[in-house]
Amino acid sequence: MQPILELKNLTFSYHSKEGETKVLDNVIVRVEKGDFVGLVGPSGCGKTTILNLLAGIMQPSCGNILLDGRDIRESLDKVALMPQRDQLFEWRNIERNIMLGLEVRHINTKKNREMALSLLKKYGLGDFAGMHPSQLSGGMRQRAALIRTLVTQPEILLLDEPFSALDFQTRLNVCDDVYKIIKQEEKTAVLVSHDISECISLCDKIIVLSARPSRVKDEIDIEIDKSLTPLKRREDKLFPKYFERIWMLLEEKKNDG
Amino acid sequence: MTDEHKKYVKKIRIRKLVTKVLQIGILLLFIGLWELVAQKEIIDPFIISSPSRIFKLLLKLEAQKNLFNHLSATLIETVLGFLISTAAGTLIAIILWWSRLLNDVLEPYLVTLNSLPKIALGPLIIIWIGAGKQAIITMAILICIIITIISMLSGFMQVDKEKIMLLKSMQANKFQILTKLVLPANIPTLISVLKINVGLSWVGTIMGEYLVSREGIGYLIVYGSQVFQLDLVMASTVILCILAALMYAIVALIEKIIKKYF
Repeated sequence: MQPILELKNLTFSYHSKEGETKVLDNVIVRVEKGDFVGLVGPSGCGKTTILNLLAGIMQPSCGNILLDGRDIRESLDKVALMPQRDQLFEWRNIERNIMLGLEVRHINTKKNREMALSLLKKYGLGDFAGMHPSQLSGGMRQRAALIRTLVTQPEILLLDEPFSALDFQTRLNVCDDVYKIIKQEEKTAVLVSHDISECISLCDKIIVLSARPSRVKDEIDIEIDKSLTPLKRREDKLFPKYFERIWMLLEEKKNDG
Repeated sequence: MTDEHKKYVKKIRIRKLVTKVLQIGILLLFIGLWELVAQKEIIDPFIISSPSRIFKLLLKLEAQKNLFNHLSATLIETVLGFLISTAAGTLIAIILWWSRLLNDVLEPYLVTLNSLPKIALGPLIIIWIGAGKQAIITMAILICIIITIISMLSGFMQVDKEKIMLLKSMQANKFQILTKLVLPANIPTLISVLKINVGLSWVGTIMGEYLVSREGIGYLIVYGSQVFQLDLVMASTVILCILAALMYAIVALIEKIIKKYF
């Protein structure tokens, strides 16, 4: 089966006054439709760079990214980014925040707006449409941010450490929440996180990257019952085994780097 | 409501009341002392005038008409200087935000102009554009515009990079990043610039009037001091205080309305 997303020999260098820094070196990743894929690696290894390349914000030095077998730059409207922290605009109410993508992409039609509002209602934020982000709890803000990414009907969601600003308890709940919504909407997701537990609890497959310049060190299929919520998956007996394996891989990297 | 909370609310109310009473008290005390010192001729009222003499002057119909003309002249100059410098300064800041190259090229010039005392340009302005209202307004604009550009630009540059990334991931172009993010995110910056400019545009206008004018509050102050009519000087200064406070109050009101959303 053709993967929905394919990163082929992706290489990227970052240029600064001090010189050229190779961030990604021949990264090869395949993502199947409907999968939840996690990218983990030591900090500064270029996880976020991969997301920026996927979102079309940066261009690879070498190699390419295929979406449904075609260059991703032809169909960037099928990709949506959920950034670190929610990044809701304080001067817009929730309704206008989730419409942002529609406005920017010039698809702000009545039909799309109704669809967006129905998403808001479906996921319990209907009553908060007129409120400003500061009036919502951290969890609700995160949900609103997720709905904002769904509104433009993307195939692939890019999650860049989306829960890093939340306290631990909220984080676990929001994690369940986001997972449920993404699965319900049948989206493919790529998650970047430095939280190994979070990755294992959410993902079907975890890609472990090496230190800079990053290569794919290992790909681990997470075979914990997929019908469980992320929180329940943390209780699975396989969970600590995966954790240890990824932990070892990351430690190893420190030594050879 | 518990007794404890009632006490707390009462305490806050009393504190507020005390503040107000003290504020008004200081003003009354100042006016009273001034009047007393002048009445008893402890200090010559010819030099310091007195509240009652100012009041008498303001009551004279002919003086009122005269004052009103001067007042409106100064007010128009100040408001024009204020509006033009804020608008033009913001526009220039937008252009500099847009073009990184232009920004880098012009930076040393901006820094130099910012530290230059603008009053030094006064004589040049008069020669170049004439000794009239236009020179005064130019003076006000010159004083406000550089700091407007610098403040707005630094606000534009501080916009959250993550939010820019979010918009870029939505394939936003530069104009959309400007209108949907950079400008609305900087409304608070604009408000603080407005507050600074309220003060500075008065400085510019009065300075301009000292240099060239035949009318306006600044002119009255200079004229009054030259003919040793201190009642007129003091009356003009009092009016200036009231006007400046009013203009600041308007900006503060705008801030209060907008602050709800930022």
